[in-house]
Amino acid sequence: MPGADKNTDLSERIEAFLADLKRGGTGAGPLRGSAETARETTALLRRITAQARWSSAGDLMEIIRKEGRRMTAAQPSETTVGNMVRRVLKIIREEYARSRGSSEETDQQESLHKLLTSGGLSEENFRQHFPTLKANVIEAINELLTELEGTTYNIAMQALEHIHSNEVIMTIGRSRTVEDFLKDAARKRKFHVIVAECAPFCQGHKMATSLSQAEIETTVIPDAAIFAVMSRVNKVIIGTQTVLANGGLRAVNGTHTLALAAKHHSTPLIVCAPMFKLSPQVPYFPFSPSHSYEQRSVTHSLWWVRREILSKVNVYCPVFDYVPPELITLFISNIGGNAPSYIYRLMSELYHPEDHEL
Amino acid sequence: MSGKGGKQSRSGGGRKGADDQEEEEQPLQAVLIADSFNRRFFPITKDQPRALLPLGNVAMIDYTLEFLTSTGVQETFVFCCWMSHKIKEHLLKSKWCRPTSPNTVHIITSDLYRSLGDVLRDVDAKNLVRYDFVLVYGDVVSNIDVTQALQEHKHRRKVEKNISVMTMVFKESSPGHKSRCEEDDIIVAMDTKSQRVLHYQKTQGLKKLQFPMVNELDVKQQIRHDLLDCHISICSPQVAELFTDNFDYQTRNDFVRGMLVNEEILGNQIHMHVTKDGYGARVSNLLMYDSVSSDLIRRWVYPLTPEANFTDREGPPCTHSRHNVYRGPGVSLGHGSQMVENVLIGCGTSIGADCHISNSVIGSNCNIGDNVTLDCAYVWNHVTISKNVTISQSVVCDRVEIREGVRLNKQCVLAYNVLIGPNVSLPDGTVVSMHHPDEEEEEDDDEFLSDGDADASQSKEKNKQKGMCQVLKVFELEVLGTLQRGLEENIGCDNLVVEVNSLKYAYNITLREVMQMLTRVVLEFPFQQQQGVQLSAAQYATVLLPRWAPLFKNYVKKAQDHLDCLSAFEEHFLEQEKHWPAMIKVLMSMYQLEILEEELIMRWFSQGATTDKGRQLRKNQGLQKFIKWLEEAEDESSEDE
Repeated sequence: MPGADKNTDLSERIEAFLADLKRGGTGAGPLRGSAETARETTALLRRITAQARWSSAGDLMEIIRKEGRRMTAAQPSETTVGNMVRRVLKIIREEYARSRGSSEETDQQESLHKLLTSGGLSEENFRQHFPTLKANVIEAINELLTELEGTTYNIAMQALEHIHSNEVIMTIGRSRTVEDFLKDAARKRKFHVIVAECAPFCQGHKMATSLSQAEIETTVIPDAAIFAVMSRVNKVIIGTQTVLANGGLRAVNGTHTLALAAKHHSTPLIVCAPMFKLSPQVPYFPFSPSHSYEQRSVTHSLWWVRREILSKVNVYCPVFDYVPPELITLFISNIGGNAPSYIYRLMSELYHPEDHEL
Repeated sequence: MSGKGGKQSRSGGGRKGADDQEEEEQPLQAVLIADSFNRRFFPITKDQPRALLPLGNVAMIDYTLEFLTSTGVQETFVFCCWMSHKIKEHLLKSKWCRPTSPNTVHIITSDLYRSLGDVLRDVDAKNLVRYDFVLVYGDVVSNIDVTQALQEHKHRRKVEKNISVMTMVFKESSPGHKSRCEEDDIIVAMDTKSQRVLHYQKTQGLKKLQFPMVNELDVKQQIRHDLLDCHISICSPQVAELFTDNFDYQTRNDFVRGMLVNEEILGNQIHMHVTKDGYGARVSNLLMYDSVSSDLIRRWVYPLTPEANFTDREGPPCTHSRHNVYRGPGVSLGHGSQMVENVLIGCGTSIGADCHISNSVIGSNCNIGDNVTLDCAYVWNHVTISKNVTISQSVVCDRVEIREGVRLNKQCVLAYNVLIGPNVSLPDGTVVSMHHPDEEEEEDDDEFLSDGDADASQSKEKNKQKGMCQVLKVFELEVLGTLQRGLEENIGCDNLVVEVNSLKYAYNITLREVMQMLTRVVLEFPFQQQQGVQLSAAQYATVLLPRWAPLFKNYVKKAQDHLDCLSAFEEHFLEQEKHWPAMIKVLMSMYQLEILEEELIMRWFSQGATTDKGRQLRKNQGLQKFIKWLEEAEDESSEDE
């Protein structure tokens, strides 16, 4: 039966993706950047839309929400998965609204005016069947995919506006977005880059090698030297893993140090982050470890410690830092530059408030 | 009997293309042995096979299968022997047997497997593995990525035309590290450049080790004692054939040693791969269970962490909080209770007030009362613990009920369904089980050295022992007859030796037993005389012993033989108390005839007696004088030298 085959094929792909996600953080599976994860998630969601059985938008949203919950549960620290799911849900809502013929501005903001005028009819149950809905949704998801593919290019295009000649730029760790940003600027300008190595994984080394191959003058410094060198730095440009709803960052560990040092010297801190990294999550304290750090293989450097001592020692190796929004000057994303205080607005355009909690 | 757990894997073995293409298409296979062939976990494993015992609230075999799947294995053969139906049931319900699983699991059961060797012989007979395969046990917990070791292995085989037979995976770990099982401790001599194993030996209990010289001069060797045996091996298909050829290979240890010994003849080599970053350990006994469990909770085995829910269990996974505290859904904690650090609590468990829990694993649906202290405790599912209980470093199995005021000291084990009454304090190392201890066999010391021993039926062993006793009696009579004839017919000692040897082969007696029997017979000889002259002790010493001295000397050669002879001697005289005066004379003449050496007599004497009578024997005046004289004689002779 072709239907059953399709179903098993679909579930196989979902299982494979989930398994990949679960193992993705170890180095055992293929190491993927967040852009790849976002692309794969969107492609999978498109496949689900195309192959799963659904008759109305409500059904489809339910299916996507269910799969989305499973995917986010598989790897909670990989927020792009959840972000893409929410984007697709927003797309479905929009397409549904368009098919119904009502205006696009459907109860986005609960303004006082809306409350007065709408009068209780805010319950949409998405039960109406539209034959063209499927095609529209898939087309919109394709647009989303195109947008995803173009993010790095769009960000890199803005490089010349921000980087001037003979500037000293500091960065930390390795971010593909920042790498492309700097390489693009290097085509026309000459500047100097200082890379903080970001122990213990020392991804900064790879970044420095890559930048120097693009003929940018690069210096690698240990994390402890960040504050000392900061007085010589004109700008700090960093990437991040996630942009939180309040404008803060969840970035690689050491970024908070960098941000504080930059604040102290009044050096502008620029964050290059594509829009798919924007997440409706808010930071909460105490930070739950599964959201802020994982223990990686670096702790095996302590494996040689003797038994009696090792049993009394707990090793914590945080992978991510929280950077509060006050320390950030500018966000550069594929739709342009924004202040951290504007992030809430961008988010409301990307996601529907009801989808914040999958 | 074999059962299939999923759809057939898409193997590319049937392609006839270029060699390279075929190589790339080789799916990685694995042989998983879900039985340990020993009884280290008795009596817990009377109710549940070892592979299904929970480690961090997940069955052990799930860790092994997850390790195999994440390292890219596409086809796994699980071999079960003890309680195979339970293992099969568990696997069929698990995520490994779903049609969407990337790893196809085939379950093969048989009651005839007694060792790793039997399983591999079966693998060869059924022709199950076509390419290189990973060989693991069902209780291995690991996150090592073997692809690198596999590449090296394949490269070696390609370059050197299938000489390398097996690659063993080790983890670098300092000696005495708590995850190194003492029984499995090994020392390896390896060739640094090619990672070839030159010598392999288990070190448990040994203080002296010998390493053979390697003839090749340009080989740079390293002797490594800092290796933890992960019990993961990458084997070529030849391994199964080699096990079939050599019927007596039972364990991997046998195989490795056999290959190393026969290296010149067969030309097979064994290589190794040492990993620094991965984690791999086998839960081979309760101490390792404790060790691996705590490593798991402290996240050394990332990504196999308790909150990862890699088995895709239904329901929300447990949450991970600071200080490695994991709580499943539905856990309720009483007022004032503290989960200090490294605690894993399963779903639905309720904990009372003022409890103090640290370094423990608690299963699901447990009921823990007030004021309970748990430290290094492993409490499985559905356990009821009443108030004021203290448990330290112990294992409490499913459905146990512990009443109030109980105190479990270190290394106690409460097996399934046990009920412990109020206000009981169990001393260290107590094992409480519903199964009667008589039903079990005693463990031999041999189990420490080889993990291939297994003896399924109790009665077989008893019969064998009875049979042995009868045979020994007959042998004794025969030897007696031989000596008598020797005396009467004046037969030379050489001929006597030949006769005794032939009797040894006829009755299948070990050399050690021959020697002990000989001592007994000779000592009892005067008292066995039915007819003829009754010899007195002195005559006995002066006449008979010198006659039979060569006979003795033929059998008493090594130090151990001397000690055996002396223990037989002691045994005899313990039975015949009235002949103690004669004992000294006999011992003296044995010493003078150089049957026994003074050093060993001293060692035997100082070894101390195990029974009261033995101690009395040693207190005997005459014996003490003799020993003193020996000491002085020794001093004199050493001074002379």
